[in-house]
Amino acid sequence: MNALRSEERRPKLVLSDVCKSFGGVTAAQEICLEIYGGEVLGLIGPNGAGKTTLINLITGVYRASRGEMIFKGQSITRQPTYRRAKAGIGRTFQHPHLLDRCDVLTNIIMGSDMAARKRTGAKPELERELPEILACAGLEHIRLHDPVSKLSYGQQKLLEVVRVLLSHPDILLLDEPAAGLNNRETQYVADLIRYAVQRDIGVLLIEHSMELVMSICDRITVLNFGHQIATGTPAEIQNNEEVIRAYLGGGSDDAED
Amino acid sequence: MLQKKRIHPLPAAGAAVFALALAAAPGFASVYTVHVLSVAMISYLCVLSVYVLLGLCGQNSFAQAGLWGVGAYLAGNVLLKTPGGSAAAFLAAVGGTALVAFLLGFAFFRLRQYYFTFASIGLMTILNGIFMNWEAFSGGAVGMKGIPAFSLFGWTASTEQSKFYVIFAVCLAATALILLLFRSALGRSFMAIRDNEMTADSMGINSLLTKSIAFAISGALCGAAGALYASLSGYLSYQSFTYNQSTIYLIMIMIGGTMSPVGAIIGTCVITLLQEGFRSLQDYMQLIYGLGVIILMIFQPEGILGGGRALYERLAKRREKTEAGSV
Amino acid sequence: MVIQLLVSGIAVGIVYGLIAMGMVLIFRTVGIMNFAQGDFLMFGGYFAYTFNQVLGLPIVPALILASLCMGAIGILFMRTSYWALRGAQAKAIIVSAMGASIVLKEGARLLWGSIPLSLDKVKEGSVTIAGATIQWQYAAIIAIAFLLMLLVYVLLEKTFIGYIMQATAQDQYMSSLSGIPVVVSIGMTFALSAAITGICGGLLAPIFFLSNTMGATAGPKAFAAIVIGGFGSVPGAIIGGLIVGLVEQFGGAYISSTYQLVLIYVVLIIFLMFRPKGLFQEKIQEKA
Repeated sequence: MNALRSEERRPKLVLSDVCKSFGGVTAAQEICLEIYGGEVLGLIGPNGAGKTTLINLITGVYRASRGEMIFKGQSITRQPTYRRAKAGIGRTFQHPHLLDRCDVLTNIIMGSDMAARKRTGAKPELERELPEILACAGLEHIRLHDPVSKLSYGQQKLLEVVRVLLSHPDILLLDEPAAGLNNRETQYVADLIRYAVQRDIGVLLIEHSMELVMSICDRITVLNFGHQIATGTPAEIQNNEEVIRAYLGGGSDDAED
Repeated sequence: MLQKKRIHPLPAAGAAVFALALAAAPGFASVYTVHVLSVAMISYLCVLSVYVLLGLCGQNSFAQAGLWGVGAYLAGNVLLKTPGGSAAAFLAAVGGTALVAFLLGFAFFRLRQYYFTFASIGLMTILNGIFMNWEAFSGGAVGMKGIPAFSLFGWTASTEQSKFYVIFAVCLAATALILLLFRSALGRSFMAIRDNEMTADSMGINSLLTKSIAFAISGALCGAAGALYASLSGYLSYQSFTYNQSTIYLIMIMIGGTMSPVGAIIGTCVITLLQEGFRSLQDYMQLIYGLGVIILMIFQPEGILGGGRALYERLAKRREKTEAGSV
Repeated sequence: MVIQLLVSGIAVGIVYGLIAMGMVLIFRTVGIMNFAQGDFLMFGGYFAYTFNQVLGLPIVPALILASLCMGAIGILFMRTSYWALRGAQAKAIIVSAMGASIVLKEGARLLWGSIPLSLDKVKEGSVTIAGATIQWQYAAIIAIAFLLMLLVYVLLEKTFIGYIMQATAQDQYMSSLSGIPVVVSIGMTFALSAAITGICGGLLAPIFFLSNTMGATAGPKAFAAIVIGGFGSVPGAIIGGLIVGLVEQFGGAYISSTYQLVLIYVVLIIFLMFRPKGLFQEKIQEKA
């Protein structure tokens, strides 16, 4: 639909008519998405719109009731979670899921372990990559042998993004990476997203902070009650009446939770 | 930046002193003590298997004594019924038990957490029933008698001391391998499953396969322990391989601490000492043992090692503070 | 023969079901499987023995007194092995329950000796129905078990204390915020659970004999009942107990008495493989 990217580029991930319902509740209704390498696709919508469900559908935590998902030219609709992750779908969680009984270094190495599991032939170069990524995340001064529980909430969320970046994903699904973070840490999130974009990683960003979404996303998709109500550039979305009615307009109190 | 894991000087020195003292023990200890130490080291291998499964991978199994029995009877069968000799018996016990555990793991780990624990209780009872009743394999209720001592290249471990050293060598090798495992990608994927299975999945870890591998490794350890036990005692009875024995292994690792093989060592030592030390009190020994377990869990739910580590870190921090203050 | 086995299977099974119910009550309140439940059974049996055989009371008051004593033991158990550790990981609580199990077993051996004991049946003798001889004790067990289930139902569903206990089971934190003394409520649950299981000990003793390892054989069967019935479900626990009892009696008679115990766990594992959520899991999820 949207010709922001040139025609010859093929999307890394294509969702066509993906549906999911829990009992009678429809969490995703005929979702169609494309994610290209090196772009940031924002996914916004009010709470309960089905944003996290969509990530869980893409990663295989939930099975789609209907529809097809193609990742790098292959159907992943029926694959288990770990296969999809191995194929190159990286994600973070709303609340950081770190190995909370291990130290920071072990958590970091887990990321490059995963890159090694992919058997792409390219050796992960932790020594070279790590300082750069940590600098992006503003974590260059953390002590690698401290247990992760000593890190602040924001640092833990950033560390989770660092870990998934070290696994060299093809697409990266970020579930509210900046929620609960202060302004400075939100900047680090933006830096990490830019780092990913430079490496041709396609990013799907769920976020309530409109400032971050509008400044960093190439395209934005808006969900409401499982329906995709609009897709377009940030400017288009900001002027879309249905979006304003459903989400942006109605007294943006819930924008930060 | 990515320097290897720090080695704490004090615990490392402690471990070395402990290993040396243990190695020297047959030189001065009585035959009875040496025998007790040998049995304790065999228990240690089983406790180490609980460490791999529970401490690293977060899965609680009550079938470890059953796997120990599988290893023991496999070794006994090879020794008594084939010309294979000790090395073949040992390998058959390790490999056979690991294979059994892997296949069972693949079936049972479709179940999560509590359900796996229940399945393992069932498995333990079934294995015990098989040991008790399958005469061709285990000698049934009479047991298996006359298993020859360990021998290799014409040398036979006929004395308690020489048996001790065979077991000691296996324990050292097993500990070294498990420490390597702890630092490997496989070990980290165990820990990922322990801390959060969903995260592990999202990092490309096949949790069913990985848990089965963990169970297989724990099976291999139990199998080794079983083969050593068969050679040490020469007699196997189904009464050794019970649910109760499995709970003792679990108690040992919990008392020691589940975070490191050192916890397995501490737990085995403490429980063995408790059992031997209160032997003179006869009737009250088991009661004291039970009370001791409750009290230790109340005051040290992370095990003795957990408590020790917390103390060590507190002291280190205080030292840092005073050093910073004096500058 | 079939009728006889059916009756004994139901009687033994319903006792396993009650033990399982005791475990489920505790599990629903604190989220921990109680690995000492079987020893409550054994201890209750010994209390009943003391009141009945040593003090010479009739069996029914002896059972009631034994259940009261077990209630006290339940509270003691909860204070030492659960409450003191409630912040720790589940595995630490499980291990402390195992320690308590050893203490109960050894305590019983020291107090009452290790010779198997017996006590009075609720009603001696037997009755012949359709050619099958059925001991009155089995009939009495089934009747008392139903009475106990009814009591528990009324207590939990119709009384204030029952509401408090259910509220605590659903959300401890919210309950404490609404002014429910959580420690009392959990203590009540443990007491109730231990009391029911204790009566079962007194009922089983005339059939199986009392020994300090009685709990170790009955406890795992109750686990099997819980899993077969569906984790966390009270009716499931009872039905699961009945299945275990029937498999035990019929399997022992028709298939192999040496593999009697193995048979139960084969059924358990078949259930785990093909119906891992048990018979009653769905209903529980609807409720929650």
